[in-house]
Amino acid sequence: MNPQEQKNKKTVASTSDIKQEEKDYSINFATSSAINRINLKFLLLYIPILWLSGYMALAIFFDTSRLINNWFITALLIPVWLFILYFIFVFGLAIFTRAILVIINMIHKPKEGIFKAEEGNQDFEFWRLRTELKKLTLWFMNKGPLPWIVTWGFRWFGVHIDFSSHLQDAWVDVDFIEFGRKVTVGQGAVVMSSMIVGQYLIIKRIIIDDYAVVGGVSNISPGTIIKRDTVVGAFSSTNFNQILEEGWIYFGIPSIKLKPNKYAEQRQEKIIRRDVERQLKYEESHEINIDPDKKHLINNNRKNEVK
Amino acid sequence: MSTPSSLTAGPFTSLVLVKKRYLIFYIYLIWISLFSIQLEFWWYWNLLYDWKFIHFITFLPLLIFIMYLSMVFVSLLNAKLLIIIVNLIHKPKEGIFSRIIDQKISKEYRYWCIRNIIKRWPIWLSHKFPLPFLDNICFKLFGVRTKYSNSLFESWVDTDFIEFGKEVVLGQGSIIQSTVIIGNLLIIRKTIIEDNVKIGAHSVVMPGTIIRKNAILAASSLTTIGQELKEGWIYLGVPAKKFKKNIFYEDNLEEIIEKQMHDVEEIRQKYEKLYTKRYDKDI
Repeated sequence: MNPQEQKNKKTVASTSDIKQEEKDYSINFATSSAINRINLKFLLLYIPILWLSGYMALAIFFDTSRLINNWFITALLIPVWLFILYFIFVFGLAIFTRAILVIINMIHKPKEGIFKAEEGNQDFEFWRLRTELKKLTLWFMNKGPLPWIVTWGFRWFGVHIDFSSHLQDAWVDVDFIEFGRKVTVGQGAVVMSSMIVGQYLIIKRIIIDDYAVVGGVSNISPGTIIKRDTVVGAFSSTNFNQILEEGWIYFGIPSIKLKPNKYAEQRQEKIIRRDVERQLKYEESHEINIDPDKKHLINNNRKNEVK
Repeated sequence: MSTPSSLTAGPFTSLVLVKKRYLIFYIYLIWISLFSIQLEFWWYWNLLYDWKFIHFITFLPLLIFIMYLSMVFVSLLNAKLLIIIVNLIHKPKEGIFSRIIDQKISKEYRYWCIRNIIKRWPIWLSHKFPLPFLDNICFKLFGVRTKYSNSLFESWVDTDFIEFGKEVVLGQGSIIQSTVIIGNLLIIRKTIIEDNVKIGAHSVVMPGTIIRKNAILAASSLTTIGQELKEGWIYLGVPAKKFKKNIFYEDNLEEIIEKQMHDVEEIRQKYEKLYTKRYDKDI
């Protein structure tokens, strides 16, 4: 064969490869899960929720403040009242949105999968409705001073989370997420169980196991499973369906193994040591009936055995 | 879902030049907007003589809602009037300007700062409202071309020289700028984001970038000044480079993507290659 023909063959092969590469359907990048359309329809649900919960707080205030006739004491108690009214208002919001959510979930059950992000697609529309509804209460909870309220709100709306883990400084979706114990999610991190890619909406469950740490300003895409004792570094993002193995530090876009997590091992050793120290210890002492002047011989023998 | 303070800390308008005499704008706008609340409450209190006390309580939450809206709108209209006056004195334009000439603040920079100061209070107010409708009205009035259906609530957006198309998605914590300050230079350039563009979380769009239709800017990536992202491509990286073609606008891809959900082993093998590369290099 001439070298020219070989060259031609090679070029043909390379072009065909490129064509195959162009049709790369794998999702190895991350986008956002923000709502892509704002509708005035949502106001129909927002206004009654705001009104009812505001009414609840005010009614409690007027009912109880009437009992105190002295105006001076009521004036003194106003700051306390404002604090309490805020929480009553937030709890009212949580209760009424939960009531509406139960009805919505009975009409259409939330499920994982791939849907078209279009007007008219039922899954997409209900996903949007759910997220917008939950957003209102969680927004008010986040503006409050107490961090437990947010965690409680997440539990209330169906996220599997413990009070030992921390997500107050991050942006976290409220659907299809499971947290283990003592998980830390860093400042400004985005944990999203739903993602819009082109025309499609992808929803998949995220599982974050015990003692995992997600660094600041990092993105977690739907379908990732972060196993025990792993760390995702700051400014890194995981891809769709990625599984992070146990006891490693991950870093980069997409996140890949950086080094084994030695810090977790230290903690595990500590735990083991503590457990050992807690165990019952008892000393055994044997008394042998021999003459007192020959006792030192036994002790000498023991020392020799140890050596 | 929740938008914590670490993501929404920034106000929408950038603020650099702080001077005492610019407090006049703030005081005027804040006083006028609070005055509207006072008027409404006074009117409502007068109704008490005819009504019973229970009526007062029932409609108070709704009134607070309306009062907040009226406060935003009054401050918005006044700010718009002020901006029209300021723009008559000095017209805003694109270009590269120096901030300080001969130890004096240049005209362009000063008027840019004044514009931002006027916009600050109404936009801050509307962003502190939990519903995203007010933001879009603010942007529309202040000269950003958007549709009402676009959601700009999760991200930080400049208020001048930006055009949005239909169905744009801005990710959580992303930043879209039309002005940037580099040393002594103030660069103002128009950023255009066309229809169906999806911008990922934590990504930054610098002034002068044009993002064409159906393009995707992936999460935590950055565009350079004056970059053009071509139609139907996915861009990734710092600075953003072509990653692959955006074929996710084709129909009937559900099954192909759903396969990836179940083929976990394949994905793991793909990443294991990456792991070994990195692992060998480091240790």
